[in-house]
Amino acid sequence: MPAITLTSGDIRRQCRHELALRSRSGSAAGAEEILRYGAFVGSAVECHSFLDRAMDYSRAHIAAMEKAGRSVHNGTVILADCLGASKGRFDRVWHAPAGGLWGCLIHANTLLTRSRGLISLAVGVACCEAVREMGAEAQVRWVNDVLVHGRKVAGFLIEGFISPCFREEYNLIGFGININNSHFPPDLRGTAIALAEALGHPLDLNLFARTFLTKLSFNLGLLYFEEERELRDEEGSAGRGGHRLLQNWRQLSDTIGRRVVYGLDVLQKPQYRAVVEGISDTGGIALRLDDGHEKTEYCGEIRYL
Amino acid sequence: MSNEIDFDEILSKYRSDPFDYVDVCATHTGVVRFKVAEGDSVEAPGGEWLQVPGTALYEITRERNPKRITAQTNGVVSLVRSELEGRFVEAGEKLITIRHPLKKKEIIENILKEVLYLFRAPERAKYFFALDVQSRIEKKGARAVTVEPGEEVLTMSLMKRDTPIYYSGERGVIHSVYFRPGVSVSQGEPLLGVCAPEKLPLIQKIITRVKADWDSE
Repeated sequence: MPAITLTSGDIRRQCRHELALRSRSGSAAGAEEILRYGAFVGSAVECHSFLDRAMDYSRAHIAAMEKAGRSVHNGTVILADCLGASKGRFDRVWHAPAGGLWGCLIHANTLLTRSRGLISLAVGVACCEAVREMGAEAQVRWVNDVLVHGRKVAGFLIEGFISPCFREEYNLIGFGININNSHFPPDLRGTAIALAEALGHPLDLNLFARTFLTKLSFNLGLLYFEEERELRDEEGSAGRGGHRLLQNWRQLSDTIGRRVVYGLDVLQKPQYRAVVEGISDTGGIALRLDDGHEKTEYCGEIRYL
Repeated sequence: MSNEIDFDEILSKYRSDPFDYVDVCATHTGVVRFKVAEGDSVEAPGGEWLQVPGTALYEITRERNPKRITAQTNGVVSLVRSELEGRFVEAGEKLITIRHPLKKKEIIENILKEVLYLFRAPERAKYFFALDVQSRIEKKGARAVTVEPGEEVLTMSLMKRDTPIYYSGERGVIHSVYFRPGVSVSQGEPLLGVCAPEKLPLIQKIITRVKADWDSE
């Protein structure tokens, strides 16, 4: 019996709470419609005691459904109490013992190219909002690292996947959030933190899971909502003060103005140092290099100096 | 892929006109203001990280948001559509042509592009080899690595979203790699040049012939 016991109904109920919350905070404009756009998140939820990798399981799940002549539910969430072979980007190991929130969201890719580029930001914003709602002072570091006390509480891995039979395109949104897990490998102790450690008390994992997935529902829904406004509205988002997701990201991030080191794989191959000037309207990071020239990067990662 | 190459004809074409003519088109809709005139020299981006922008070519304004577009290649401006100055243009409208002087290496690559199967970038992004292909290249070298249709050959990385790219051309060896890890590739630009193993001697013949017949670098 898995320790995590989340259902689609739990997420739907949490969405009603989310709507009330956003109404109270004055950010309700379009919230109901946005949540309707994002309602696919958690359309089906699978909870497991153990998986090797939630991403691999998701790929196998899609393939198995198609082999049986069926389509996978868009928004299916795969959760596991612990993962045996989880990994980060490149060949980095991700430590996923019991106590954390580990899983994958299967998203059938129906976004336009421009919005698809913002999925990574949406995931970081959703997690940061959920962590803040638990009471911790969290910030987003570009692209979507969520930091508490300068240490990483969550990491995300987003991979495209073309299904083998129907050739449907999916985004597999992998998430790993340190909640009650207290032990980290020696090389991560200085840079990783669990939310329970930051708050000084353990958390209800199911409560956090449904809070995070509801925030994800809102922020992915926001991509569809803004896309629809962009297509409908001749003025475009630039005339309305920019994309709402980017506005939210800026409010939650402490990246702008920081001196950073940048690299495609910044741990293995740091490339150059710069000051972050801002974030472009497509989510890229604008960097002022030491020679005074500005360069906007759309992939890779940064570390604060 | 073509088996028949008239070397004399191709080489004489490059001897009489050793230039590429690079068309610069409107990146999106908007009102255009040119920043160069015909005959001006322009520079490509420079610096270790290509952080120094190329010469400003034109400014395009949409929704009161001006964007300066810079040269991606060096050369001399051979054509400016000056009748479009201050006018609204559609995305993709040809605005400027740059005459780019070709080096020997570029001439070889241009000829090879007529012979190789070119596997192109699906989106503007950074690309790197899939781990399996990378380890085969490290062991044997790219020109000893065969790729099959449907094989996961590259990873496209954009905004921390990694998408596997499956090879969709003819089976063959990776002869030319047109991308560098960490450098963005525009949509439609070639990533790989692939040829059937039996055509490798033809490719080698092209390279040898151009190297022998072309004096300058």
